[in-house]
Amino acid sequence: MDQLYGYFLYFLSLVTFGGIYAILCLGLNIQWGFTGLFNAGIAGFFAIGAYVSAILTAPESPRHLGGYDLPIVVGVVVAMLVCIPIAWAIGRICIRLRSDYLAIATLGIAEIIRLIFKNETWATNGARGVSFVPKPFESWDAPWDQIAMALLILLIVAVLYIALELARTSPWGRLMAAIRENEPAALAAGKNVERFRIEAFVIGAVVMALGGAMMAHYIKFIDPKMAEPLKASFLVFVMLIVGGSGNNKGAILGAMLLWFIWSFTETVAPMVIPDSFAHVVYPFHLFASWFVPEAWMATPIAPENITGLDSWDTKAPYLRVFLIGLALQIMLQKFSSGILPEKRLQSLADQHDAAVEAARSSR
Amino acid sequence: MLKTLKGALLAGSMLVVAGSAAFADDIVVGSAAGITGPIAELVAPIVAGRELATLHVNEQGGLLDGDTMVLSHADAQCDPTAGVDAGNKLVNVEQVVAIVGASCSGATNGMVQSVTIPAGVMSISDSATAPSISELEDNDLVFRVAASDAYQGVALAQLAINAGYTKLAMTYSNDDYNAGVATVFEQAFQDLGGEITGSQMHEPEKQSYRSELSTLSGNGAEGLALFAYYGSSGITIVRNSLENGLFGKFLAADGMFDVSVIEQIGAEALAGNIMITQAASDDENISYQAYAAAYGPAYEEQGYSPSAPYAAHGYDAAFLVALAIEKAGSTDRGAMSAALREVASGPGTVIRPGEWAKAKAAIAAGEDINYEGAVGNNDFDANGDVTGLFSVNRVTADGTYETELIR
Repeated sequence: MDQLYGYFLYFLSLVTFGGIYAILCLGLNIQWGFTGLFNAGIAGFFAIGAYVSAILTAPESPRHLGGYDLPIVVGVVVAMLVCIPIAWAIGRICIRLRSDYLAIATLGIAEIIRLIFKNETWATNGARGVSFVPKPFESWDAPWDQIAMALLILLIVAVLYIALELARTSPWGRLMAAIRENEPAALAAGKNVERFRIEAFVIGAVVMALGGAMMAHYIKFIDPKMAEPLKASFLVFVMLIVGGSGNNKGAILGAMLLWFIWSFTETVAPMVIPDSFAHVVYPFHLFASWFVPEAWMATPIAPENITGLDSWDTKAPYLRVFLIGLALQIMLQKFSSGILPEKRLQSLADQHDAAVEAARSSR
Repeated sequence: MLKTLKGALLAGSMLVVAGSAAFADDIVVGSAAGITGPIAELVAPIVAGRELATLHVNEQGGLLDGDTMVLSHADAQCDPTAGVDAGNKLVNVEQVVAIVGASCSGATNGMVQSVTIPAGVMSISDSATAPSISELEDNDLVFRVAASDAYQGVALAQLAINAGYTKLAMTYSNDDYNAGVATVFEQAFQDLGGEITGSQMHEPEKQSYRSELSTLSGNGAEGLALFAYYGSSGITIVRNSLENGLFGKFLAADGMFDVSVIEQIGAEALAGNIMITQAASDDENISYQAYAAAYGPAYEEQGYSPSAPYAAHGYDAAFLVALAIEKAGSTDRGAMSAALREVASGPGTVIRPGEWAKAKAAIAAGEDINYEGAVGNNDFDANGDVTGLFSVNRVTADGTYETELIR
């Protein structure tokens, strides 16, 4: 029973993490999925959201700016508001760049933002991070605190999903798709393309800040390492692409799925591998050791002699990086436009045209 | 082939039935470490230390009624997010009694604040040194056998004063560890009457640090206090300083302690010119010798040295968890921290590394015990911290380190 209860709590943490990544993915979906803005600087807005909300809500500390002790809601909302002018300014400067150039520029800007947080020690405690960030519902008894946290994240994801679906199917969403697919045509139709691109960029950035703030409150800690490009930018991009960019359901699915795989492989890999894998590998390893110079490879260890350090337990974390790569390869080869590909609005329009055409001809 | 199939089936059934490596007579202790990530190379010997303690426990009668102690490893990657994920897995899926780790301060901060303190699980870190960990409201659940940076910074400052330095320039790598030691050092050195002529933060992994160094030199600085990891910036800084004649004398904290510093710079330039403090163990202490005698041969093949940074801490942390379980007489999570305090400090029968059978017998006989570990007496203060021991390492003309314990 205890074990089942444990699984349940672990499941809640999976959902919470997956949900936070889903928020980031939905933010990116507005930029990349809807409008085709190649923003590789997710980490920057993530960091702004996380730090602003953390500093506003954390208790006073001599190590960093703070002591405002504001409610979490206020911290999160202010974090999102702070992101608006920053994203707008970045957008004004960078938005006219074509896709790959925009990627390079935003990647650079995200690093600048991260390094500012890392170096302005007086405000952020530098590389040592901000501790004691409050977590929603933390005063509740277990497991209700964790259930409530997971539900809160899911609620945010659901609200975002509904809002973004409405946006996507609205004229605004169709305009974004038009800008992505054929910018000159959108221009020719008299649309202020630059303004709308900035709009999408800012809205996406605000959603990312929300994700960052939730991450800081969930972990109760934020340091510059959490905003490194690999974890906060590229992982989110991969999640969106696997799930299906342009599709809000796909964004959520991709985030959940990849986080599940990422977290799960560590638990599962050593369980599946120890005996079976060692027995498979050993003969090959032994065979190879007759030909390959000793210095180039590890000494083969017979499966029955594997203990402690040589066990797959400590090696599994490395293996899982490989497993994730493999899973990605298979997914991307098999589903090249993501698991849930975008449902093109254009085809709805075509259907409408076809219906009108049919009605006309029957007259 | 049959064996393989059997193995696969066994593994598969384990997955379905238990979902964890634990069997009925296994007692699982969590081991969160930065197995992958920026300090992976440093972590391997530390994890080896934890494994060695586990081996000693199991060889000498095991826990409680002959149960096997099993370390369940989870990768905290030196990253707070991964630390939380690792903690969740250990606490909820593996159902561990207590946790050894995590390695880095950031990962530890995330893990204990978000997971283990709310869940009421005790953790002992063997290498997290950030002062902020002392301040946590942890219900007496967070311990560490690694001394807070606060102590090493003070030790180095005292050493500098004793060596006759009055004016020093300092530079530190902008990461959580080095920045922490540097801040404490700066304060302590000034409190002891020294003067910091200039202080400069640097980003690791740069090709050259000439500009930072030329800004720092002059102003009458007698030497450079250097807080950096040897691989990512330390060696480059020493080389740049010597090549350009900017600094000739160096004081450093333990991120610089590695033979590659001597190999790459050369003993003739460093002999008598560098002092490196390190979280140390008393080599002459019988506890340390007992540990080193076991560690050396056990990991000869892997090439890990018993004096590897924090390896002895890893041993002590795991051994202390085992003692706490034995003392509590159960695997009740709630009983761990009180039991840990009882076994870690005196009075009582002194237990040294490797003496599991003796400890088990003493606890069974109802005696108090006092673990005197490889890294020191491990007497925890109210915050769950230890003062720790430090050594100073000087380079000799023949290219080795001469280690002396600071007393």
